Amino acid sequence: MSDTVEVAERVEAAPPGRTPRRILRRIGEEFLRRREASVLIVAVGLGIYFASAEPAFLTQPNLVNISRATAPTAIVAAGMVLVMVSGEIDLSVGAVYALAPFNMHYLIDYYSVPVIPAILLALLISAAIGFANGFITWVFKVPSFVTTLGTLNVVIGIVLVTSHAYPTSIPEPAVGAIQNWLGAADWSELTWCLLIVGFFHLVLTSTRWGLHTVAVGGNLLGATEAGIRAGRIKIGNFMVVATLGGFAGIMDAFRINTIDPNLGGGTGIMFAAVAAAVIGGTALAGGSGTVIGAFLGALVLAELQNGMNLIGISANPYFLILGAAILISMIANVYLSRLRRAGRT
Amino acid sequence: MSKVDPAVEQAVDTLGLNPITRRRLLKGAGLTSATLAATALLAACGSDEPSGSTAAAAGAGDFPSTPKWKFVFVCHVTTNPFFTPTQYGAQDACALLNCEFQWTGSKEAVVAEMVNATNTAISAKADGIALAVVDENAFNAPVNQALDAGIPVVSYNADGAKDDPGTNRLAYIGQGLYDSGFQLGQRALASGLDSGDVVGFIATPGALNIQPRIDGASDAIKQSGKPLKFTSVGTNADVVKGQSIIDAYAQGHPNLAGMLAVDAGSTQSVGQVVQKYSMRDKGLKVAGGFDLVPQTLEAIKGGSLDYTIDQQPYLQGFLPVLYLYFYKLSGGLLFPSETNTGLLFVTKDNVDPYLQTKTRFEGSSTEQQVVPRSGAIAHA
Repeated sequence: MSDTVEVAERVEAAPPGRTPRRILRRIGEEFLRRREASVLIVAVGLGIYFASAEPAFLTQPNLVNISRATAPTAIVAAGMVLVMVSGEIDLSVGAVYALAPFNMHYLIDYYSVPVIPAILLALLISAAIGFANGFITWVFKVPSFVTTLGTLNVVIGIVLVTSHAYPTSIPEPAVGAIQNWLGAADWSELTWCLLIVGFFHLVLTSTRWGLHTVAVGGNLLGATEAGIRAGRIKIGNFMVVATLGGFAGIMDAFRINTIDPNLGGGTGIMFAAVAAAVIGGTALAGGSGTVIGAFLGALVLAELQNGMNLIGISANPYFLILGAAILISMIANVYLSRLRRAGRT
Repeated sequence: MSKVDPAVEQAVDTLGLNPITRRRLLKGAGLTSATLAATALLAACGSDEPSGSTAAAAGAGDFPSTPKWKFVFVCHVTTNPFFTPTQYGAQDACALLNCEFQWTGSKEAVVAEMVNATNTAISAKADGIALAVVDENAFNAPVNQALDAGIPVVSYNADGAKDDPGTNRLAYIGQGLYDSGFQLGQRALASGLDSGDVVGFIATPGALNIQPRIDGASDAIKQSGKPLKFTSVGTNADVVKGQSIIDAYAQGHPNLAGMLAVDAGSTQSVGQVVQKYSMRDKGLKVAGGFDLVPQTLEAIKGGSLDYTIDQQPYLQGFLPVLYLYFYKLSGGLLFPSETNTGLLFVTKDNVDPYLQTKTRFEGSSTEQQVVPRSGAIAHA
């Protein structure tokens, strides 16, 4: 909604001059006005720093490493942004992430379902968990933090009980082309990630669903008074994040070539997705957010993780330095956004 | 010792003195200014100056001069105290051989993070990789890639499943996991376990660094043919959560005949729970487990645990560095060798030295020291 206001301002403020310098400045202002600008600058800055510290950073195999660390987080974060913008949170997505590849494995190996339908069914089950999250949150008025804390444990329990807490290998029929298309090939995770991020960016910025999501998260009462069916929006967004979580889980299982009950580390991938969303400019309180920003947030986290591994920082100081790096990058981020807002007046 | 400026220690190390001379020198009264001393010492042995180029650096001992090779250790629980001595081992081997190492992987056994760390080590052109293979399938491709890139890889601490190492690593340095679990069970049988319910606790079922142990323990008990019922119970990687699970299990099953555990956290908790409910007085015949955390050792001393198994984690850090170094130095002629780092039972009879000394070898101290021992060496 704030975007429409911005556009109006922009039209009024547009100066008549057309000298190249002015156009350049105009482009610069346009860029800075975007919510994603500051985190993009941070991402590029980190890239330059690590590339100068360690030339291997920009080699093709390492770019693949970074893309693979970015993609699953960014895919989950795309859904998380929708949920957070609509004013809720989903803690259970990491468990769904681990469950989906197991469901695929059960369907293929125990029920002889062909691979593609099995994957789709596994995603459908993920969506059903999302539905349950939304339903309990909306109909029973349980805060989503608590609802999804419950489902998080239920789903982790299902994973551990059904798998006997034992890792298993990728089902034979999926090995080869499907495994490569869905995660194992060098750039496949990133390709899927970019498609998903692009799609949900459009959904959030250019569709009625997106508009209603922002409205519900920004002002629930006003939105319902205006005739928006808030329950439907929230439940739908819970289903989106769960489905994306399941999809990212299946791709990650294909990539590491094993189906592991600890895939994503339970809450690890969820925290990374929430962090990516917030770093990218999504408000924790709801009502505003950006999917591309969340992608860039995931990229920043992946760059930090990969770059620090590359320059050889060991595990114990790693957390110290990672924490400091996140704080410094985000102080820079906030400072840059302040500059951006100042430029608007 | 800790008051000495690290620069001085480093400088003194380059002199290759015996420990007593070294200590005397470091504590010496004449050294008024630490930095001044360091400068003087560095000047005295100019060719060993660490800041010098690789050409100036002499090799370790009689070995020829080598670049400062860098080895990467990928661990599944990087911050777990079990691996503190492993890191000391790697550190000491690196100091000896003028190499360096990086300790990385996952904090919470997330295989994808370990795969990422391994791939990053390959991108960074590490000189060697030591990998804890906690998954049967996930590390095959990364290890092959490393080998294709000419990077030697050994596994340590965990090595795939019972019959399948899971990778094409050159060698495994660690405990025979299934075998150690089998021994855990056999020892329990030998200690008088003949009938009743036996429970085996495992922090992370399915994780291949400990699952083979519980399989081994279970097989040993089943193969004995005695009227024993073995149940395995998952606890938690988090010791605190794990302990409440073990506590609850003990409350629900007060007549257990045997309590076994296959990881450090569960073993420590078994000791505490046995003591808490005085289970020794209620028919518990055997309690035992793995590793040497202080609570476990105290439980052995106090009698609530019968035995624990030491797998010498220090060597799991020291030996991989040594093997990778030799592989590099000899152009692959010295091939890393399979090494079982041990299956040493610690009981009430031999627990004292573990409790009384604090050493780098057990991870309980950072200090370098010579641990004196006397008397006969126990044997069968």
